[in-house]
Amino acid sequence: MVSARIGSLYTHRELVLAWTTRIIRARYKQSVLGGLWAIIQPAAAAVIASVIFTLFIPVDTGDVPYLVFSYTAMVPWTLFSGSITDMVDSLTSNMNLVSKIYFPREVLPIAALLARLVDFGVAASMVALLILFSRMSVSLLGLLFLPVILVTQLALALGIGLTGAALNVFYRDIRHLFVLGLQIWMYATPILYPATAVPEQYQSLYFLNPMAGVIEAYRAVLLNNALPNPYLLISIAMSIVSLLVGYWFFKRAESRFADII
Amino acid sequence: MTSIQFDQVSKCYRMGRKLPSLRETLGGPWKSKDGEVHWAVKGVSFELQPGDALGIIGPNGAGKTTILKLLSKITDPTSGRIRVNGRLSALIELGAGFHGELTGRENIYLNGAILGMRKAEIRARFDQIVEFAGIGHYLDTPVKRYSSGMYARLGFAIAAHVDPEVLLVDEVLAVGDYPFQLKCHARMDHLRKNGTSLILVSHNMEAVRRVCDRGLVMYHGKDIFQGTASEAVVAYSDTVRRAARQTQKEVPEEGGLSQQVMTFDAEIENVSLLDMEGRPVNALQSGVPVVVAVDVLVHRDVHQPDFSLTIRTPDGRVVYDTMTSWMKIPMPDFTAGERCRIECRLNLPLIEGIYELDVSIVPADLSHFYDYIERAVGFSVVGSAGAKGIVDLDAQVVIRHPKTEAR
Repeated sequence: MVSARIGSLYTHRELVLAWTTRIIRARYKQSVLGGLWAIIQPAAAAVIASVIFTLFIPVDTGDVPYLVFSYTAMVPWTLFSGSITDMVDSLTSNMNLVSKIYFPREVLPIAALLARLVDFGVAASMVALLILFSRMSVSLLGLLFLPVILVTQLALALGIGLTGAALNVFYRDIRHLFVLGLQIWMYATPILYPATAVPEQYQSLYFLNPMAGVIEAYRAVLLNNALPNPYLLISIAMSIVSLLVGYWFFKRAESRFADII
Repeated sequence: MTSIQFDQVSKCYRMGRKLPSLRETLGGPWKSKDGEVHWAVKGVSFELQPGDALGIIGPNGAGKTTILKLLSKITDPTSGRIRVNGRLSALIELGAGFHGELTGRENIYLNGAILGMRKAEIRARFDQIVEFAGIGHYLDTPVKRYSSGMYARLGFAIAAHVDPEVLLVDEVLAVGDYPFQLKCHARMDHLRKNGTSLILVSHNMEAVRRVCDRGLVMYHGKDIFQGTASEAVVAYSDTVRRAARQTQKEVPEEGGLSQQVMTFDAEIENVSLLDMEGRPVNALQSGVPVVVAVDVLVHRDVHQPDFSLTIRTPDGRVVYDTMTSWMKIPMPDFTAGERCRIECRLNLPLIEGIYELDVSIVPADLSHFYDYIERAVGFSVVGSAGAKGIVDLDAQVVIRHPKTEAR
């Protein structure tokens, strides 16, 4: 049953692409700056944080300039939180499709995720430029970890996004709950501060947050010329669980979508 | 091999606004005992072989569209078994699957992708689709600027050109003009010859008779009749009015919300639409006057009844609604056994499209109906010049601009 459904998702891969393109086109239609917004949004957050955490309350980020330090984390975090919010809305904002036409419903959240991934690509090129300009040395071995880290965070987001999208069909509170949850989650993740700022005795608890491992891994590889911290393994394990549970939940709830929406 | 097996299928919706619990969200069939339930479809069975065409008819809210939604997997049955063999293509609602901001061209690809086609497959059929829909000039216009007729044409063109093994078509065709409907009928015949099974849901009895060989009458979620298409059409109109006549109680109105009472003190025997020479017509030129002729047989003495006439679009919007009392036209008293013919001359400056006409005859106090025929006559209007909406307001455009003024 499940394999048949994955099969039908494969046959609908062109739909995933078409829908992703549609989202991106719609997002930047009639906008002057277009794709630049993908850079500006995390950059603005990083700049504000830089003012606060270099001038007002200095945070020690070692050799790395604070702006680079926070922007490097802000870009993947924007992908994570933005894609989850979009996925949660993906079914309810396309009610007319869901109630009138059949296609594998996960096309909608997956396309929402992919559209955000394109934004991420744009913003990430900016990170690359920043790193080049700051003349930091990055090891090739470390860079090999980047796809692993990215896939980990995508799987985590997809699992959560699928669950949220399905729940949001039944209870519209979910959307607000997720927005709030993601805000809190951001502060529980080492984006504006280094993980080393967390007191020693809380460290192992702290890294139960899978995004903590992910963000630290990005920094290790990109900024510190190091290999990811083994805490990344926790993140990978949790991503796999998230994806499996999310997909199972989504497929269980799927047949009710058209009746409720 | 059977192309559709619909075996004792039921679909139950829960009414009311209560939110489902998490357990219900995940659980199997509806288990909850609380709350009102509505059986949209109850114990319906039928089978289609390749090349069969089944027309489903019945009043609004009888479960016709639910059957299409069940077949196309939009919703799952509460009980029963559904098997569909082969590629299914469905046209359930106008413009569903179209995205307003995208052009006609982009929407053809998007829609094809929704139906599970490769880009190359769509490209191979692209010209055929465009030609059939007749939207050549508007191919690169966002579809939000399309008329409802163009939506219907494009929607049908795509659905009918993806080599479906099963094609489901809901009311949508009614929006297209008459020549296009004929073109659709021809296309459906062609597909059937090549082994496509067809299900057509329609209020247009002529279309059902013309396109389908079999008919199924839905009434309150049950299949009360199955037979040839012509038998089904007769069975349907008999059923509705017999129910009214014998039990003199509820006949479901639009949407099945309010209930009506019919007493048949006066019965509408026949309704026809005539041109000014007295010939029956069903395709009218916009703005040309016609006569609605209604023959009434009086069963019991009635005192100054009121006669009403309503013109609607197929989606139920009222175009024109009038009553003899509103027009201050005095009606006589009638005695049992009398016959009477009411002729109503109308100017119909309507926008191209399909319209329906309801007639009713009611007592002076409007407490109930003597008789009421929904969709007594359907007709199409042609020849309004390039406008959208309902009424042709005959815009006269003058451009005042230095260059044109100078001439």
